[in-house]
Amino acid sequence: MKDKLFRDILPRVTKPIRYVGAELNAIRKNWSQSQVKMALAFPDVYEIGMAHIGSKILYGLVNEESPHLVERVFTPWPDMEQVMREEGVQLYSLESFTPLERFDVIGFSLQYELSITNVLNMLDLAGIPLLASHRREGHPLIIGGGPVAFNPEPFADFFDALLIGEGEELLLEFLSCLHDNRERGRQERLTRTAALEGVYVPSGYRVDYKPDGRLADMKPVSTAYPAMVRKRLVADLDTAYYPAQPIVPYMEIVHDRAVLEVMRGCQRACRFCHAGTVYRPVRERSVAVLKEQADAQLKSTGYDEISLASLSTLDYSGVSELVRDLVRTYGERGIGVSLPSLRVDAFSIELANEVRKVRKTTLTLAPEAGTQRLRDVINKNVTDEDLFKAVEAAFSSGWNSVKLYFMLGLPTETEADLDGVLALLARVKAIGQQHSRRLVEIRASLACFVPKAHTPFQWSPQNTISQLEEKRRYLTRRKIKNIKLSFHNSRTSMLEGVMARGDRRLNQVILRAWQKGCKFDGWTEHFNYDRWMEAFRECDMDPEFYVYRQRDYDELLPWDFIDTGVYKAYLSQEDQLADAALTTADCRQAGCLDCGICPDFGVSLDVKEGKADATAG
Amino acid sequence: MRLRAEYAVGPDHRFLANLDMMHVMERALRRADVPYRLSEGFNPHIRISMGTVLPVGIWGKQEFFDLELAAMDLDTFMKRMNRVLPPGIEVKACRSLGTGAPALMNSINAAEYAFRVGRSPAEVEPLLAEIMRLEEIIVPSRGKKKDVNKDLRPGLFALKVEDQGDGAVIRALVSVNEPLNIRFDEMLDLLTGFGISRDTILDFWREGHFIKRGERLLSPLLTP
Ligand code: SF4
Repeated sequence: MKDKLFRDILPRVTKPIRYVGAELNAIRKNWSQSQVKMALAFPDVYEIGMAHIGSKILYGLVNEESPHLVERVFTPWPDMEQVMREEGVQLYSLESFTPLERFDVIGFSLQYELSITNVLNMLDLAGIPLLASHRREGHPLIIGGGPVAFNPEPFADFFDALLIGEGEELLLEFLSCLHDNRERGRQERLTRTAALEGVYVPSGYRVDYKPDGRLADMKPVSTAYPAMVRKRLVADLDTAYYPAQPIVPYMEIVHDRAVLEVMRGCQRACRFCHAGTVYRPVRERSVAVLKEQADAQLKSTGYDEISLASLSTLDYSGVSELVRDLVRTYGERGIGVSLPSLRVDAFSIELANEVRKVRKTTLTLAPEAGTQRLRDVINKNVTDEDLFKAVEAAFSSGWNSVKLYFMLGLPTETEADLDGVLALLARVKAIGQQHSRRLVEIRASLACFVPKAHTPFQWSPQNTISQLEEKRRYLTRRKIKNIKLSFHNSRTSMLEGVMARGDRRLNQVILRAWQKGCKFDGWTEHFNYDRWMEAFRECDMDPEFYVYRQRDYDELLPWDFIDTGVYKAYLSQEDQLADAALTTADCRQAGCLDCGICPDFGVSLDVKEGKADATAG
Repeated sequence: MRLRAEYAVGPDHRFLANLDMMHVMERALRRADVPYRLSEGFNPHIRISMGTVLPVGIWGKQEFFDLELAAMDLDTFMKRMNRVLPPGIEVKACRSLGTGAPALMNSINAAEYAFRVGRSPAEVEPLLAEIMRLEEIIVPSRGKKKDVNKDLRPGLFALKVEDQGDGAVIRALVSVNEPLNIRFDEMLDLLTGFGISRDTILDFWREGHFIKRGERLLSPLLTP
């Protein structure tokens, strides 16, 4: 296999290094001595998948701390796919060049709704039936996990099981359960795993619809399957596994550096944010543990940069201490620290300046909306004043380009909010000209808002494609010097919205779209909207049903059976507050707001550094 | 001090691009705790210069880089590097350079490419002789200077075949860098154009680099 690849296949494709593995710190475990063999599949190209922290954790965890084995596989780029199909080469793992069909389990990491066609394409390249119901005894079990799995229904037919929530504990339990029941039949083994908290076996449920298309009922077919599937989470990050020796890719990947996960979850409760609910509550790592991890990773990888990752790193209680310590320890050797996301305030800029002593990073801020009213609607607790102070601090300390992130199509958005975006940009530019000696460059990225499951906006209609296009025209009706606007594709966002709040009937559409050649739908150059619409028509399905209508609070939603720990009543209350443009405080500062998760999961907000009062409660 | 290192890249790493190889070396230098020198400025980088660029798809037995560092024992340098480099990439030798020594790119002017073929030397020999009898070999230039033709012939110093028992190895000594650079893919096309078909070529690599002075081939490691 390897010889054929090296001689006949790889010389014919772009970036062959994507397909050869053998990187520093890659783990090749003994096949026959390992219990369950799992392929960890990422439905996108190597350089994107290799940047994903969750996959790094699971890879190291299973290989280093369990009797099972994990090997990696990514989506081949279309040129590689073509050569593989021509030459009859099956999709293989990077560690041992083993065809995927020889694994016991293939686990897909589901980070983005539209990567589902890549999942199907990979299964097809591996010679494995796409539909779970067509798989037989000898086929691997196909499982999935990740944020997208929190509304698993649109993909339910393709997976034998989905793992809901954080995978660290659950995946090991799942694999061991399969090993313990290895003598049993396929369905029986699956049924056994369904008893584990967090495992969803789609074939164990029956779904009925009302004549108008809404969900009527969803019930387990037997008591072996739980009525509610509860997400899993890790209680204490300090004791959770984190790789000390991550793989160091040869080719440049998206985040080519050592990564520390300083905390998980975010308590800011922005109402549009999916991650905010599914990763609740906040759990931090202590500075001491992070310093050790930084040291171990730098020693084992030789990276020249270390990034502090989380949903909102500047909210980490130990952030100043950690940043200063890392800069002091490694700065002299040319090793830089990077902060992937900055909070919109002057403190952030101050800290970013310390980081920049070593390495220049781009200043990006996310006000999300152009007016205070709309920011209150989405509960983005940022004021104009915060923003202007941050920008002023940035420009006067030497930055001369700023990138601002906004969303278009937020609930209740009016023309005044669009004007607000432009006014805000103009003001930022003016501040820049006043405080910077050089020409300032302002860039704004405008994403289309997609309502997501498990958020306060899960009942809201999404803006239509024509509404979004009209807004785009409105914003770009005249050019403003040194201010660049870029927009996300509204058609991509529409489809993303369909998947994000879709139900089981979408499986046939996805299958159809894949048959028509859809893949790499997250890549503009491959995304083909018309083909997708054809697939909907041929399946007699209306995509608009999923995105453009206002849902009632009492409607049974396809993802209601997934228990994130956050009460539905809390979400609807937040939605009502949004309607009135009333904000909700951060429960870390304001005290518990009874979203439900902490008492229910027997966990607490885990703030590690210097805020003992917050942890006491 | 300035140091010149000779290293080998095994067949498994043949698909690394030049930038990838540079990162491999830089990361190894950090892991090995080598006292490398950094450039000035906001974005400091290790003062390493990759003197030879291995084309994607081929492996190399004798590649070179130059590095600036604080004083360090050469043996220790090699031992530490080889402990942390990925298996298959190895520092073979190194020496310290005078500060005024010319950069590798400016002194290396010849390289040897090797092609293992699944045919007998007797079959290959006449094909090579035919190439060597040509007075000129005009090919369209690749890379930067497109639309210009170039003559490979003056840069083709030697072309011979070696018996290896189960097959043969063709060795081509060619001119590289200035004034005439014969690329690996040009050499490959030349051979295939003269009847050594692609499917009979089992493997290829770069055997080494030289500083050619007249008929003498000198090692870049030993020649300042
Ligand atoms: S239960 Fe209370 S403290 Fe915990 S995340 Fe929810 S609001 Fe915050």
